[in-house]
Amino acid sequence: MTRRTRLILAGICSVLIAPAVVVVILHIPAFGHHPLPYGDAINRGTVARRHVTNMVTAVNFDYRAFDTLGEELMLVAAVTGTLVLLRGRRGENVSDRPARAPDRPVCERSEAVTLACRIFLPLIVAFGIYVVLHAQLTPGGGFQGGAIIASGTLLLYLGESYRLWRRLVRSLLFDMLEAAGAIVLVLCGLGPMVRGHAFLENVLPLGQSGALLCGGLILVENAGVALAVTAGFILLLLEFLEETRAAREDEKS
Amino acid sequence: MSYLPWAIAAWLFGVGVYGVITSRHYVHLIGCLTVIQSATYVALLSIGYRFGSVAPIFYSRPTSTPAVDPVLQALVLTDIVVGATVTALLLALTLQVHKKRGTVNPERLRPFRQ
Repeated sequence: MTRRTRLILAGICSVLIAPAVVVVILHIPAFGHHPLPYGDAINRGTVARRHVTNMVTAVNFDYRAFDTLGEELMLVAAVTGTLVLLRGRRGENVSDRPARAPDRPVCERSEAVTLACRIFLPLIVAFGIYVVLHAQLTPGGGFQGGAIIASGTLLLYLGESYRLWRRLVRSLLFDMLEAAGAIVLVLCGLGPMVRGHAFLENVLPLGQSGALLCGGLILVENAGVALAVTAGFILLLLEFLEETRAAREDEKS
Repeated sequence: MSYLPWAIAAWLFGVGVYGVITSRHYVHLIGCLTVIQSATYVALLSIGYRFGSVAPIFYSRPTSTPAVDPVLQALVLTDIVVGATVTALLLALTLQVHKKRGTVNPERLRPFRQ
């Protein structure tokens, strides 16, 4: 589209939605003072009803778990699409041998970088696991923890070498983990139905409030999301890093 | 003062839309989409905010403490992570466009003809 068509289209659209914008601006609630009926209802009763102390987790994995299932499948779909687009060029029979970058000099890593990465990699991964495991008690959850763990593994690439990172990050393994995460969440929905309950109904024993094991099905769903997000982000990193390199001759499709 | 969050959300949205309209590079366009998305985060979190409230975590305080709305925070949380993967998908599409057409300028792209 030329610059002119785009501007004309934008002008028409803004004229069309202008009345709606005016109505919304006139009815905007005062910041910080308006009633929050749903939030208050959840804040007041959830600790007693679900035995978890993090309300955001309760909303994500219990009250609106159906919504999270949709989000998770969206995530899996987006990751799958990216993999199909990028891996398509590398060929169908993906091996775990790293692609080469022949015209790029291999610099020796300085010892300080290697040491810092070796210290921080286990710390970051442990922190990510902590964030995942304490989702039901304190701020955290599968989404955040998964992103932390996946990004932390990049320190291997920074501190050691691309070859080592690729040797540890097997794409077939993470393909399966990604799918396993989605399957866990779907089974969490179908499982209660076998016993005659509603889809995604929290039927597991709730445990003691404030303990690590509390919230019943919330724990399982959280673990599933953590799996899918970790595997998905690692696969994205792998494919984009692989994209910057030349494929080996015998691996082209 | 009480209109500041709405103004920021509107400004982010406006800047993002302007960038999308005038963009001459797909990577820039995807960045603008992310800016538009952040406008929704600011708007959602502002709706859920209440003066004198704490975060909706009751690990070390009684449930009677006034807290902000957890529903909107949960919405923003999932949105950020899913948004990141969708951005990755769009960037992969951009790579494909670059390989097939040799340009990533939306103004220079024409539909394929038979």
